[in-house]
Amino acid sequence: MKKTGRAVILILLPLLCIAAALVAGRYSLGLSDTLKTLFSPGSVTAENYRVVWYLRLPRSVAAAMCGAALAVSGAAFQGVFRNPLVNSGLLGVSNGAGFGACVAIVFLSGGTWTYILSFVFALSAVALSYFSGRVAKVTTSVTLILGGVIVSSFFSALISILKYMADPYSQLPSITFWFMGSFASINYTHFYAFIPMAIGMLLIFLSRWRINVLSMGDKEAAALGVDVKRYKFLIVGGATLATASAVCISGTIGWVGLVVPHIGRMIVGNNNVKLIPVSISLGAGFLTVMDILARNITTSELPIGILCAIVGTPFFVYLLKKTRGGGWR
Amino acid sequence: MILSVKDLSFSYGEHPALSGVSLELGGGGVLCVMGPNGSGKSTLIDCVMGLHPGYRGSVTLDGMEVSGTQRKEIARRAAYVPQNHSITFPYTVREVVMMGRTAYLSPFGTPSDGGEELCERAMRRVGILDLADKPYNTISGGELRLVILARALCQDTQLILMDEPTAHLDYRNELVFLEIVSELCLEDGISILIATHSPDQAFYFESHGVQVSAMFLKKGITAAEGRPSDVITAELLEDVYGVRAKILESGGEKTILLQRSL
Repeated sequence: MKKTGRAVILILLPLLCIAAALVAGRYSLGLSDTLKTLFSPGSVTAENYRVVWYLRLPRSVAAAMCGAALAVSGAAFQGVFRNPLVNSGLLGVSNGAGFGACVAIVFLSGGTWTYILSFVFALSAVALSYFSGRVAKVTTSVTLILGGVIVSSFFSALISILKYMADPYSQLPSITFWFMGSFASINYTHFYAFIPMAIGMLLIFLSRWRINVLSMGDKEAAALGVDVKRYKFLIVGGATLATASAVCISGTIGWVGLVVPHIGRMIVGNNNVKLIPVSISLGAGFLTVMDILARNITTSELPIGILCAIVGTPFFVYLLKKTRGGGWR
Repeated sequence: MILSVKDLSFSYGEHPALSGVSLELGGGGVLCVMGPNGSGKSTLIDCVMGLHPGYRGSVTLDGMEVSGTQRKEIARRAAYVPQNHSITFPYTVREVVMMGRTAYLSPFGTPSDGGEELCERAMRRVGILDLADKPYNTISGGELRLVILARALCQDTQLILMDEPTAHLDYRNELVFLEIVSELCLEDGISILIATHSPDQAFYFESHGVQVSAMFLKKGITAAEGRPSDVITAELLEDVYGVRAKILESGGEKTILLQRSL
């Protein structure tokens, strides 16, 4: 009974946030008009139809999906790498994606290439981290993380080169805005990114008990009967897929993957069986609400990455105080 | 025999860690593996757990060769109590003990209600049931050791491998741990391989009616093996550890008095 209740709340939370996102905006549209547009689209004005179906709905759904993907990947990485301070950018996903976006903006005048290249380079960066860590002939978490740090800084150097080469009046601002993150130009073609995103999240969700066991350390996890290599591959691979597809449509939003899992821990504890679904739900709700704020606080749009950190930080500090440190001692 | 090791050799690269070690264990017995730091005790345990599949010789659990066997099959036969457990996330005691059920779950399963009962029984067995819902970073070092032991019991195996389980414990906690281990052997028929630095523990088991044998490793080679009171002599301690010691006896129980290093 308690379990079902929790599941209902976890599913309702992001849906309610998306509903709020459909109503909120500069073009004023009441709740009844919004519902009418959603459920009997034939009977409403063309403006209403466009605002709800082509602007607010794809945008809020994308924000929810990306928030869920980033948060759950962060939770998975923190568990598997036994480090509460990491997010899914750890193995170079973010900088790889950033480099791909820069290449597209500087050489291919942006557009669809931005998404394709940022996705491809995000995955390549993680693969590169893995192989550069393997030079030492062993694959421990430490060599993998070292590989990630090295590859991240390599790509960040490449990004600097491209920024230096970029046209300062058109390309450089595009690059800068990409790194701040935004859902402003989302349309339904971006929904293709949901396929890898959903696969990645599903892999993490299915392996969620194994994340608990892996956080005991490789040796103990093996002694408890976990095929460490296989599950690490599934979980890290899933998180990489989910993050790469989120980052390629939203730009880098680092805050969600680090902090939303911790907010989840303060609410339901550390057991990943509960934490993983909670991270999905909270991440989705959080980023949808942030996107509502991003497009409503000022007349022009605010970059969502910045907003997340500014609004999220005091909220996090409040929770930390309320839960007396959330179990960390 | 639940565990049978024949002529086991293993090297880390060029450096040999174990050469020609053989042993048998089963039927609720204890095997105390002793020897100085770096003598191969932990490597032996790792080999038994199948963490070093490149060993030579044979290691069988329940008649099944460990090398090439699935992890969950090994974990259903041998549980492990590590020397150090480092805490990353403040799970509750119950959650940690429940991890012992992992080897019995489907590939993407989570522990169901059936596991809950075994988990409670394991916690009751070692006397930590009242800690069940506490975060396991807030309990004492002695209690933490018992939590890890309960996790091993929850794994429901005939064999438990312990790597210096009483290191860093105070007098009372060490004794509590040894008492529980004795009970597990005598009452539950669980066999235990315990790597330890203290030959006194072998004497303890012997004088408390546990079927125990002592095995000394020196640079990866078996230096002596047999009943503790036969094997543990001043000469052996001098040879294996490089110490001068006396074996004292009082009321049929033996203990070691260390005198000086050589």
